[in-house]
Amino acid sequence: MILEELKEAVMEGDRELVEELCQKVLDEKINPVEAVENGLIKGIEEIGRLWTEGEMFLPDVMMGADALKAGLDILGPELSKAKAAGDAKEGKGKIVIGTVKGDIHDIGKNIVAAMMTAAGYDVYDIGFDQDAAAFTNKAEEVGAQIIAASALLTTTMGEQKELVACLKERGLRDKYKVIIGGGPTTQGWADEIGADGWAETANDAVSLCNKLLAG
Amino acid sequence: MSKVTLKVLTDEDIRQIHNTSLQLLQEVGIEVEYEPAVEVLKEAGMRVEGRRVFFDPAYVEKKVAEAPHDFTLYARDPKHNVHIGGDDVAYVPGYGAPFVIDAGGNRRPSTWEDYMNLLKLAHMCEEMDLSGGMLVEPNDLDDRTRYLDALYAHIRYSTKCLMGSSYGADGARDTIELLAPVFGGKDALKEKPVVITLINTISPLKLDARQTGALMEYAKWKQAMVIASLVMAGSTGPATLAGALAVQNAEVLAGITLAQTVNPGTPVVYGSASSITDMRTGSVSIANAEAALLTASTAQLARFYGIPCRAGGGLTDSKTVDGQAGYESALMLMSPVTAGVNFILHTAGILQYWLCMSYEKFIMDAEIAGVIRRFKRSIDVNENTLALDVIRKVGPGGHFLTQIHTKRNHKTEMRKPVLSDRQSYEGWSKEKLTTEQQAARVWKKMLAEYEDPGLDEALQKHLQEYIEARKREITK
Repeated sequence: MILEELKEAVMEGDRELVEELCQKVLDEKINPVEAVENGLIKGIEEIGRLWTEGEMFLPDVMMGADALKAGLDILGPELSKAKAAGDAKEGKGKIVIGTVKGDIHDIGKNIVAAMMTAAGYDVYDIGFDQDAAAFTNKAEEVGAQIIAASALLTTTMGEQKELVACLKERGLRDKYKVIIGGGPTTQGWADEIGADGWAETANDAVSLCNKLLAG
Repeated sequence: MSKVTLKVLTDEDIRQIHNTSLQLLQEVGIEVEYEPAVEVLKEAGMRVEGRRVFFDPAYVEKKVAEAPHDFTLYARDPKHNVHIGGDDVAYVPGYGAPFVIDAGGNRRPSTWEDYMNLLKLAHMCEEMDLSGGMLVEPNDLDDRTRYLDALYAHIRYSTKCLMGSSYGADGARDTIELLAPVFGGKDALKEKPVVITLINTISPLKLDARQTGALMEYAKWKQAMVIASLVMAGSTGPATLAGALAVQNAEVLAGITLAQTVNPGTPVVYGSASSITDMRTGSVSIANAEAALLTASTAQLARFYGIPCRAGGGLTDSKTVDGQAGYESALMLMSPVTAGVNFILHTAGILQYWLCMSYEKFIMDAEIAGVIRRFKRSIDVNENTLALDVIRKVGPGGHFLTQIHTKRNHKTEMRKPVLSDRQSYEGWSKEKLTTEQQAARVWKKMLAEYEDPGLDEALQKHLQEYIEARKREITK
């Protein structure tokens, strides 16, 4: 059963096996929508469930998210065709995430990205040391709903404010929900700079996205 | 060597970690994001590819051997000079937290007022050997120039040794410029270190531009530095503690090698803030059995290299002054002091893994540190302390309370608590104060009793003018 194997491979965080199986999906002309929705996604959902129950840990979640991403990269073109034909469900939402300019701390950001992926979001991680324009351009390019900016230093928090200012300047402020996080940040800081939300932990970040998109 | 010496690794373990670090330095190399540092190391014969520096093991060993075994930090008031190394331990307040947690557990951004309060407490508190560095982030001051205000405050309001700015070569230069006139000019500084600065590596295996720039500037003036690595086992280093130590050791050796290349004999302290990652959330956890083991191992590694050591602190992941804060901080101070660490940054005040400072926690940690310093002193065994004469005199069934031997010896033999409650139940139950409430009374009293040590008016004016000029430059 290839669907079950895909699920298991994601749960194991076995990127190579996922790639191999996805190639098989293409080669044997197996329905890619099935492979994603009843294979890969089932795996990441199961990881999310076990993580919530305290039976899985960060390496499980992050490696699972990586494996999922590798699979989606291979099945992507076929999936787009299916989406265009209306055969596939749209994802939960698109999120652009990154660490702000001048800041090279990206572990927390990576964890948040993995949690968002595990929660079913399409996550576009632009990496670290990224300026406001890089966040904005990526969001425009992929048609995101949420922009998430991380800062670990008191000296780089100001860049989160820059992001909000940049969006305003380009007349795009209302188009995106901006969320922020990172060690020295607070809800007070989010309010001060006019961000739409703040979260202290990766789990809270996912709940925040759910809430913002439901609203 | 002190009679109290905690060892958690064998000599063979140390040798294996050392060899692994040398192998990492040679084969994987260190990413050095500061061009002048890459140049200096290249000139010294290291192989360089882009910004990756591959260290020659023999060169590393030679350079590390050039660092002093111990040194004295000179204070504005000589009674506060601090010897760093040997069996001595210097306690230094918490450093760099952007928040304060008030009694009761309410967290808020720290301010300049907090900075000044903590500075006065550090100056007043007997257990603190230095006044410290960035005691808390003064969030209400311009972040580009607040280090200047912070440095000035230490010089002006305390006569204990301070920690310098690691804000790039400029921060280091400003630190030197501010201290030189206080200590008789720049040439005098080269003869005696008057400031010690925290230089952090970036794990795994990187030296960033800002800290490395500061490192080279301080080395030029032969001022002391703690070169410290913070490996989070499980995320920025291997989950296995031996591997985490190998990574930490490679980074610190690279930093020390660079400092000794710039200026042989520059006083350096082998530093570690390494700990573990909470594998559920990815957050750092700084007070646990593994962290205590890393701390003690660091002391053994530093001793292997013959260099003073920094590790540990009054560390906790707790968010308030509670049982967890108490037992974790006690563990994280006990381990380094008994293992022979010489410089303990974050001795007092820290809550929530370095993110917060607490006035009450400051007092509690100072008490723990005092108890452990006493423990480290061990038991003197000699004719006087064996007390044969007085035991003979008192004889069976008597008591020692009225003996001159007791009166003479108890004050040095037994440490008197500042915070711990030793009252009877009846005495305690009149107010039923918790540790936190009692600590609040202690710090408020200490602050009220603070006396300004003063500073020459002309010198004050000179320093202020320098700072104003620098602020104009930086903010223009």
